[in-house]
Amino acid sequence: MNAHTPKRILIGKVGLDGHDRGAKFLIRALRDAGYEVIYTGIRRTPEQIVRTAIDEDVDVIGLSLLSGAHNELAARVAELLKEEGVEDVVLLAGGTIPEKDVPHLEALGFRHVFTPGAPVSEILSALEQELSSRE
Amino acid sequence: MNELVDKLRQGNRRALARAMSSVGETGHAESSLEVCLRESTGQVPWWGFTGPPGVGKSTLLDALLVDLREHGRRVGVVAVDPTSARSGGALLGDRVRMMRHAVDDDVFIRSLATHRNHGGLSDATLHCARLLELAGYDPVLIETVGAGQNEVEIRSVADLCIVVLGPGYGDDIQLVKAGLLEIADVVVVNKCDLPEAQRLVGEVREELAATAREIEVVAIEAKSGAGVPELLQRLFELDRVRRTETAEASRGRRRVLGEIRRRAEFSCRGALGRVLSGPEVEQWIAKLNRGECSLETVISRLVALALAELQQEADDE
Repeated sequence: MNAHTPKRILIGKVGLDGHDRGAKFLIRALRDAGYEVIYTGIRRTPEQIVRTAIDEDVDVIGLSLLSGAHNELAARVAELLKEEGVEDVVLLAGGTIPEKDVPHLEALGFRHVFTPGAPVSEILSALEQELSSRE
Repeated sequence: MNELVDKLRQGNRRALARAMSSVGETGHAESSLEVCLRESTGQVPWWGFTGPPGVGKSTLLDALLVDLREHGRRVGVVAVDPTSARSGGALLGDRVRMMRHAVDDDVFIRSLATHRNHGGLSDATLHCARLLELAGYDPVLIETVGAGQNEVEIRSVADLCIVVLGPGYGDDIQLVKAGLLEIADVVVVNKCDLPEAQRLVGEVREELAATAREIEVVAIEAKSGAGVPELLQRLFELDRVRRTETAEASRGRRRVLGEIRRRAEFSCRGALGRVLSGPEVEQWIAKLNRGECSLETVISRLVALALAELQQEADDE
């Protein structure tokens, strides 16, 4: 009867930027696509993000990074997850991330990095693919 | 399963978080629930918070967490948000207001969606509360979606019900009149920095005066924390009273009974719903139209069909 337990996604904003219109837009799209979305709000630390992801037992972490410090923040999140032994969570990142930094984030374990202008449909289908490949 | 209980007692967060998910997934058949139920003595108080959306329930919980931590308590929180009926997805946003507690080892917050129980508490809510209790969190705070059926449900599972109201939501007083106060052990009026709040306090007191129960109305401002320590003292006091009035065994029993009632009602509603959307309904309506039977007969026959279906399910198990 619970064959369709919705997947849980944490959408977190790390770093010192206060713009979450994009994140909120995505959150609604994710909810409408049938996901349970846990939103952390703005200006969170990597520690808060990782602890929340563990407590909420999420399937996916989506980091919104607009502060310019994405390399450091994303690395810290990946490092903390590793320390905690969390290896089965899909990591996604999005935001104002220059193309040249994308390989760095991918090397950290981020499966997809979405840059400005990425349509929601692209994010949703990437997500669906990631999750179905893990079934 | 005892292994799980050990891990929970050792404070293993991941084990706790995982157990919460597996309970949600496996539903009734699997047994971690039964273990938890047996182990749940009713010793740890469950405080249920309900009230209209936007009234500040999450902000109140955030403020209470601060004060409870000052009292050295380890606190568990289950925050429920509604599942979208259309997509089955949900936006679980209660924790946004409680993020300052995210890295506190002695606070565990879990967000849940209502799932199939539309407008109510999900099964998972109770399982999570029980797991938190087993893991040594005391008290357990449950924040419900603020509308519909759940007020009654939270009454049947929580040891204390805190109804949260606030000014500026014109229909608050309507809700009060519609029976929201009947379930309250304490009424909290939030946003008391606003002048309308004082009026609301007066209106609620007036409404309460008409009932036989003596229920306190506590004015707070959750955002600044004003009035929250007083509220907490009141909740501790009520807990003490409960404790002396009711033996531990009977509190545990009440919890089991609450669970049985909630689930039983849910299956009855489900079975009846299936019968009412099935082919028999049309036949009975036709008979009724031909004047061959009374409405009462139709109703009792359809109810009997639903019960027969449940009987069949029970036999198959």
